[in-house]
Amino acid sequence: MLPQAANSDAMLATNTGVNTGANPVANPDANAGANPLGGAGNLPLSGVRVLDLSWIIAGPTATRFLAMMGAEVIKVGSARRPDPSTRGAPFQAYNQSKLYAALNISTQEGLELALRLAAVCDVVVENFAAGVIERLGLGYDELRRRNPAVIMISSSGTGHSGPDKDYVAYGSLLQYYTGWNSVSGNAGGEPIKGGLWADPWVGMELAMIAAAALNHRAASGQGQYVDFSMAEALTAGIPAALLDYQMNGREREPQGNADAQYAPHNVYHCRGADRWVAVAVTNSQEWLALCEVIGRRDLAADARLADAGGRKAAEGRIDAAVSEWAARHDDYAAARLLQEAGVPAAPYLEPGRVFRDPQLRESGFFARRRTSDGQERDLPGVGWRFADATEPHITAAPALGDHNDYVYRRLLGLPESEIARLVKERVIY
Amino acid sequence: MAQDTARDIAQGIKPDKARGAAKGLLGGAKVVEVGEGVAVAYCGKTLAQLGADVVKAEPPEGDATRRAGPFPGGAAHPEKSGLFLALNANKRGVELDLGAAEGAAAFRRLAARADIVLEDAPSARLEALGLGYDVLSQSNAALVLASISPFGKVGPYAGYKATDLTLFHMSGQAHSLLGPVESPDDAPPIRAGGEQTGLVAGMAAATAALMALFRARMTGAGAHIDVSAHAAMATQLISALAGSSFGKPAPSRDISQAREAATGGVVAAVGGVLPCKDGYVAISPREDAQWRRWVDLMGNPAWAAQERFITREGRERNFPELWELVGQWTQARSKHEIARMGQQRRIPCFPVNTVSDLFRDEHLREREFFVEMAHPIAGTLRYPGAAYRLSNARLPLAERPAPLLGEHNDMLGEDV
Repeated sequence: MLPQAANSDAMLATNTGVNTGANPVANPDANAGANPLGGAGNLPLSGVRVLDLSWIIAGPTATRFLAMMGAEVIKVGSARRPDPSTRGAPFQAYNQSKLYAALNISTQEGLELALRLAAVCDVVVENFAAGVIERLGLGYDELRRRNPAVIMISSSGTGHSGPDKDYVAYGSLLQYYTGWNSVSGNAGGEPIKGGLWADPWVGMELAMIAAAALNHRAASGQGQYVDFSMAEALTAGIPAALLDYQMNGREREPQGNADAQYAPHNVYHCRGADRWVAVAVTNSQEWLALCEVIGRRDLAADARLADAGGRKAAEGRIDAAVSEWAARHDDYAAARLLQEAGVPAAPYLEPGRVFRDPQLRESGFFARRRTSDGQERDLPGVGWRFADATEPHITAAPALGDHNDYVYRRLLGLPESEIARLVKERVIY
Repeated sequence: MAQDTARDIAQGIKPDKARGAAKGLLGGAKVVEVGEGVAVAYCGKTLAQLGADVVKAEPPEGDATRRAGPFPGGAAHPEKSGLFLALNANKRGVELDLGAAEGAAAFRRLAARADIVLEDAPSARLEALGLGYDVLSQSNAALVLASISPFGKVGPYAGYKATDLTLFHMSGQAHSLLGPVESPDDAPPIRAGGEQTGLVAGMAAATAALMALFRARMTGAGAHIDVSAHAAMATQLISALAGSSFGKPAPSRDISQAREAATGGVVAAVGGVLPCKDGYVAISPREDAQWRRWVDLMGNPAWAAQERFITREGRERNFPELWELVGQWTQARSKHEIARMGQQRRIPCFPVNTVSDLFRDEHLREREFFVEMAHPIAGTLRYPGAAYRLSNARLPLAERPAPLLGEHNDMLGEDV
């Protein structure tokens, strides 16, 4: 639970006062609440506890950010209906840094345990289809009866109100429904057929809104129900196209790698199969540097190409010149030559090469941890560093039930005999 | 929290106390934003719509996105850029020349009273101007400074340049975007539209800054956060990076190889984007029960009984043929008709919406997703709102349109 706020004026957000009477937590040991995964130190969310009822991708990636920044995240799931992502490698990344307790909430006793857990948590996250959490008996009205200041984050495909709230959704389909995919593609081409964008994008925004709600609670003492729509998060990600349509009454055709104003602005084939270098020239200084690197001083001297408009008009000719140069180079080497001359450039990388890229390696993005299969593996981190060397809290993903003892015996104070009975009766399951 | 100034009140910006309720979730937390890119502006926009009091500081020539468009009729105008208007709604704006002594002093005064400062200056520029974290935190120990840059401040690329195009391609996203192709060497990978890398970096910065603000409120300790757009994009690739970590390579872009590895995460294997009378429909009846309902919806065509389409594995392995056959059925119908029929049978199925479809969408209308704001020069426009509705706070989504260049310069007085 949260400590006292430093600012004594703040009405306190902590659950401690709330729970003391209504739901005494049998927790005689002062250290009993310590996260068995290790201390959160001075991480920003140290002292925050999260009940994670979410599954698959979007919800788990949100609570992953919270866990890495110091929150104690208790993921709850059941062998009766396992998280569908369990069988794949991605589960091992979505669920890093969390605790994992088994709980069959389809039983009456399981439901009661879930409510007791919610009562000792600051934030509850779920991403079932709209209406499911209420049918399970874990809706916001139930939770706040036990825990008035609880922050509940509910994420679904199209949100929890409106005529299409019950639409069956996958993130990949929502990208089409929301217009997000409509701004991508080759001019005149078919719709794009890939892109796993929706879920991780939503996961980050869910973590953001949880942090915002925690700030609100620290100042006001109030909890919050957050009705989150994955679809709206995607539509909010194409603002320029939405305004363009209103201003000009047109659906702007997607432009592939091209930019409306600048050239060269494309990928160019390098040595090797499916190897490309991306180059974006956005001012004259970069243009002159590019011409020097590719050995085309004649282009640099061409007055018609001196400004962005002239270069855009001659895009085909410029692309041909860059292509001719790129074909003689490896992608990384081409990007390095251009960067050293001050031109924005990068190799196109497939995920395996991103994994090996020296920037992520040397900036400490990955952390080597022993995963549940006993291997040492490099696991991803977060997109930011705290300059005071507050390291993110990174552990490997747990397996279902790994933290039953901590959650039920130490946190909820159940006797061991009671826990054994609940395991036998497939409540803790 | 800093106190509201007499000047704020004179301008009609009422202190939260006078309203009797805190604004949004952030209750008027003071944010100063200085930078040129999409990322810093999107971060500021996110905080503004959550109730922060965001001041955007622009150089005297105006923010770069004022020159980016889209513009009405394609005619560039600094107050009519769609990108600028969308990224800067609900903020106030001042002109600030950080390179001049007066501008630097005004920035220091703003930062001394801020809860959060957002910046995307090239590494070390603020330090060189005497405006780095060490200086700013001396007079404001609880300050949260979020510095956004393409690669962060450490690592071999720390000094490299990047744009949306180069970041998208180097962070693995372009690999899957187009979907499998016949000949990868003739079908270059492409970036997504809409400056997505800037939005990701901005959202990462907002996430980290709000976590740090929470700590500042609980402990009084400030923070300097180094946000890397590149690393933030890597978290977008989390599924594939996990695959790499476990020795499972991403499927090839080559459709003939992708077919062999169909169960390895090719979106096109589990979902089809199929032609209709009026566009496309996207469907994904991937589970056996969903597929059986879909076959029933199509009127049980004879081909669906073929051995190769009976199991999920078979359908994924033969996805090009599968979608070809289903497409023959969809092309005689409209996308909304198919989506309705499919969803009635609990089949994941959506119209491929264009931007104009979104403005007509009943669901978004009922949820009041779009918010309308009148801008004195660009006119009245509908902006995308927030992806969340809150039970116990009202979000200031339409507090004010994006500021005119220098609109709130008055607030740069000595008593700021």
